[in-house]
Amino acid sequence: MAERSFKEEVKKLRAGDGDLFKGEGILAITKALLQSGVSYVGGYQGSPISHLMDVLNDAQDILGELGVHFEASGSEATAAAMLSASINYPLRGAVTWKSTVGTNVASDALSNLASAGVTGGAMVIVGEDYGEGASIMQERSYAFAMKAQMWLLDPRPNLTSIVDMVEKGFALSEASNTPIFYMMRIRGCHVTGEFLARDNVAPRYSNRSPVSPQREPEKIILPPYVYAQEREKIAQRLPAAIDFIRREQLNEVFAGKYEHLGIITCGGSYNTVIRALERQGLSDVYGNADIPIYCLNVAYPLIPDELVEFCVGKEQVLVLEEGQPEYIEQGIQTILRRRDVQTRVFGKDIMPMAGEYTGQVMLEGITRFVLASRRETVPLAMTLDTVLGRETPLSEEDIAALMNQLPPRPAGLCTGCPERPLFSAIKQLQQDMGPFHISSDIGCHSFATAEPFNLGNTIMGYGLSLASSSGMRHALPHKAISIMGDGGFWHNGLTSGVTSAVFNGHDGLLIIVDNGYSAATGGQDIPSLVEPNLIASTLDAERPKREQWQSIEDACRGAGVQWIRTVSTYNIESMKRTLREALTTDTAGLKVVIAEGECMLNRQRRVKPLIRKAIDEGQRVERARFYVDPATCTGDHGCIRLSGCPSLTIKENPDPLRIDPVSYVDNSCVGCGVCGENAHTAVLCPSFSRIDVIHNPSRADRVLQRARDRFRAWWRRRDERRQQALTL
Amino acid sequence: MTDSGHTINLLIAALGGEGGGVLTNWLIEAADRSGWQAQSTSLAGVAQRTGATIYYLEFFKRNADAPAPVMSLFPAQGDIDIAVTSEIAEAGRMLSRGFISPDKTTLISSDHRVYGITEKSATTDGTADPVVITELCSRYAQRFIHFDMLEVVQRCGTVISAALLGAIAGAQVLPFTKEVFVEVIAGGKGADANRKAFEECYQAAAGGGAKLVEPAAGFVLPSPTTAIGRVLIPRIAGFPSSCHEVLFHAAQRLVAYQDVHYATDYLTQLEQLLARDEGTDDYYLTRETARWLALWLAYEDIPRVAQLKLRPERESSIRAEVRAGVDQPLQVTEFFHPRVEEVAALLPKSLGERLLASATARRALGYVLGPRKLRTDTILVQLVLRGLASLRRWRRGSFGYAEERAMIDRWFDAVCSQTNTDMARALADCGRMVKGYGATRYRTTSRLMAIIDAVETGIAADAAAVRRLNETAMIGEESAPFDEAIAALG
Repeated sequence: MAERSFKEEVKKLRAGDGDLFKGEGILAITKALLQSGVSYVGGYQGSPISHLMDVLNDAQDILGELGVHFEASGSEATAAAMLSASINYPLRGAVTWKSTVGTNVASDALSNLASAGVTGGAMVIVGEDYGEGASIMQERSYAFAMKAQMWLLDPRPNLTSIVDMVEKGFALSEASNTPIFYMMRIRGCHVTGEFLARDNVAPRYSNRSPVSPQREPEKIILPPYVYAQEREKIAQRLPAAIDFIRREQLNEVFAGKYEHLGIITCGGSYNTVIRALERQGLSDVYGNADIPIYCLNVAYPLIPDELVEFCVGKEQVLVLEEGQPEYIEQGIQTILRRRDVQTRVFGKDIMPMAGEYTGQVMLEGITRFVLASRRETVPLAMTLDTVLGRETPLSEEDIAALMNQLPPRPAGLCTGCPERPLFSAIKQLQQDMGPFHISSDIGCHSFATAEPFNLGNTIMGYGLSLASSSGMRHALPHKAISIMGDGGFWHNGLTSGVTSAVFNGHDGLLIIVDNGYSAATGGQDIPSLVEPNLIASTLDAERPKREQWQSIEDACRGAGVQWIRTVSTYNIESMKRTLREALTTDTAGLKVVIAEGECMLNRQRRVKPLIRKAIDEGQRVERARFYVDPATCTGDHGCIRLSGCPSLTIKENPDPLRIDPVSYVDNSCVGCGVCGENAHTAVLCPSFSRIDVIHNPSRADRVLQRARDRFRAWWRRRDERRQQALTL
Repeated sequence: MTDSGHTINLLIAALGGEGGGVLTNWLIEAADRSGWQAQSTSLAGVAQRTGATIYYLEFFKRNADAPAPVMSLFPAQGDIDIAVTSEIAEAGRMLSRGFISPDKTTLISSDHRVYGITEKSATTDGTADPVVITELCSRYAQRFIHFDMLEVVQRCGTVISAALLGAIAGAQVLPFTKEVFVEVIAGGKGADANRKAFEECYQAAAGGGAKLVEPAAGFVLPSPTTAIGRVLIPRIAGFPSSCHEVLFHAAQRLVAYQDVHYATDYLTQLEQLLARDEGTDDYYLTRETARWLALWLAYEDIPRVAQLKLRPERESSIRAEVRAGVDQPLQVTEFFHPRVEEVAALLPKSLGERLLASATARRALGYVLGPRKLRTDTILVQLVLRGLASLRRWRRGSFGYAEERAMIDRWFDAVCSQTNTDMARALADCGRMVKGYGATRYRTTSRLMAIIDAVETGIAADAAAVRRLNETAMIGEESAPFDEAIAALG
């Protein structure tokens, strides 16, 4: 069960001809897929397209009605391989992932798919995780599109264009026998808006009407066919694509009165261009611009004739593409030079090479571009200086004063997160055993590399931590330590990491964080967790009997690991003991510690309604939360440096003599117990207590409570009298 | 080009889990009901896990005869009409990013603080100064509406998004009526609490936000009410008035901690210092030394902790904190970890020293000590705590007291013996270092002693050197920064 439920919203997917569909970009894409008659969909979650996977997952009823097959793929490579269904048969299919990381994982299958070519439309919806809000290294998917020859769509970010381009994309794929990248940028994924819906189309082939198996040897990627495929890409598929794109007008040209100028933009940036022009008085809010715009909804390939038509007679054009290298600009230069078109091309010479084209960047660039014209003066609402001044109204002095007061807010582990006690244990162990070199991985646990844990040295990719420790292990003063999530383990870690490590006699330690879900991407289910979504040793549950459960421990044993321990993360003492043993034992071979504890976000979602129901039904329920005694806290905050829990914070010291704030547990505490464990294992202070509030107390509770109350009240009266005498 | 109006641009900066998405949806709904088209975008990413999140909305009046407007997905500097932030440092962040324009932007913010991890994990006070941020925001925003919305939502039992919606509506910056806003929050769970918070914040924002709080009146030394007071108050009155507040609280504390003699000894000690104090900065030296001396004299040994756990007001403050009903049974489980050192500290000096020296005795005690969870609400444990608290009677003869006293006197003498006031002040400020329990306390006190060593041997020759050592000593658990700072001086 994912973090965000789309159960209600997916009902919109049933909208028919002429209905006004209002919603998020992600939902619109799903609707467009159904309108395009896809036969199969798949993918792997990761922002910004996690929600697309969640929508598809929640839409299984509707998909089923149409006969559309859905898989939550094991990895992006798995998803890419699904597209092979479109090689031999006119089956339309779409898969999705986060790019460029997912594209890298999928690249083997994608290259082979692109070489073989497709009969049915095949589309990869890539969430281009570039710019502010991105969570990965910054690269462009564009490079892959060029080198494997897949077309790259980058539509204008309004829902109508987004939906149209999915449908046209499938047609383009089929017309040119080429798989397609459909690029969604972060903000485009989450954009809300509206479009006129069309009826869903059931796929031609599905479990209701199977294909008749047929073989086309020339589509297998073996010699001699691969050479023919390479020639076919250039001789047939590319011209077919160019022809289709031009004929169907996938790219758009918007006229403007200053014909000596031109802006060539990727579709995804179109709205930002219009806003910049509008602010300079060169467009209205509807996009009626004074400077002609050539909008590349197909970012790859370029359409030479279209481009030349746009540029001929212009003094200068501005090419707008985010990121580097400037592939599109280079392509445009090549085409114009070959055709001997003398229009001056501005691009990365006045635009930033790296980073997003935000509103301010766009405004600056377009202003510079207009000012560079010598042929005719175009009136601008703002001078370049005014535009540059828009960056910030603050004086330098005030910026300095302000920056001093802005606390960084890195992403961190949630309140009650089961991974927190694991890292508290490792941090405590490190204090005893000296500094550790740790190979980290992708997942929530990668937040341990930040404050307050500062644990972890490298991150090489999803499920690659153990593999990345292998070149290091002979040169470390301690046994190599790798940390991997359960998601990473199933994605890649079992094969690239565990199997290879056992084969090579790796004697380091692998900690697998088993929280039950693909937590960082939004709590999607993974193989080692199936309903009823309970983890063995969390706070409140015994290991339940589960069918279809794929065990991490069994998988490791199957791969040849001998030394495996499973420990609840919330038991810090036991975790420290086990890790110490793993790091000091003489037993040869890989040591695997499975650190278990259910993702607290998911757990809260699961148990909160149950607890509320129990309380409403009058059952006796104890609810725990922690409390810091402000009278005994001396304000050292050692507890926070071992935890970083959002609910463990600080507040003004109530003591009139003390100055430093005291630690304080706010009401978001879920009572996970880590504060108490840390107070004990790190011998912190006597300030922590767990408060259990009893709802619907039993008779015995009440009698006992009354007796204790009376006892304490008697003493309290006595204490207060004495205190009175001791005042000044 | 035809000029036909512009979009209204609204930015929301919230922290993960605060309901920024919910607020966005309410605004879209309100726009929709008012005949306006809305577009929103957000940056979710990993920011949902405690990080800062930005939502961006644009609104445009629907017109059946016109084509669809082109709306931007990027908030742009100089192009924001309304900025809404859920916390005051986030308002500062939006200002630092250029999203608050003096000619354009209405800034609406709750002015409470949510502390960042670096603020929380400092060993002293690492918090940002909201006064600086507030001042800058009021200077640079065209309009700045701010008040404590957290207080409102906690009282109403809801979350900050409802309060922010109320403030947006009350600020009357969007062309939607109050009724429409009320309609959109009417549904769903917690609707009543939402409505209440909405209404309060609507009124507060309509009234222009926070009013300036009158600065608290200065401290006036009260007249004595008890026999003890008649002994101590006149002596405190003999100090400059800028020291009265600290000395009053300190004397009160030391009487409760030990007895009236303990407090008079304290005042005698300070009178010696006062005689040397030149009085700069309202007798800063005497006042701050008095503060840290009192806190150190009331050091937290086992009897003290037991005493604090028995203080009469404790139960009601716990009840209020966890929001338990008056009659609702509570269980209080405390996490103690007494070590041999703490037990030895209770014994007479010679016995304590022998205990620490004897491996056998340590081992034997080790069986009964260590991590303990105690239900301090139970009668038995309350009696045990009372027994432990009463041990304070013998404190002044204990091993622990002798140890603390030696360190206290060493520090105090070091402060007193400085001829340079700045140096004396730097050493006095080092008293702030003394805190924590067990290993933390050992670390802080031994670093303080190392600083005094450095002063006495002449390595730390001036106040600046002492201050630098003090700073590095408070970096945290790692010893390297402090050791390196000492080495750099020598």
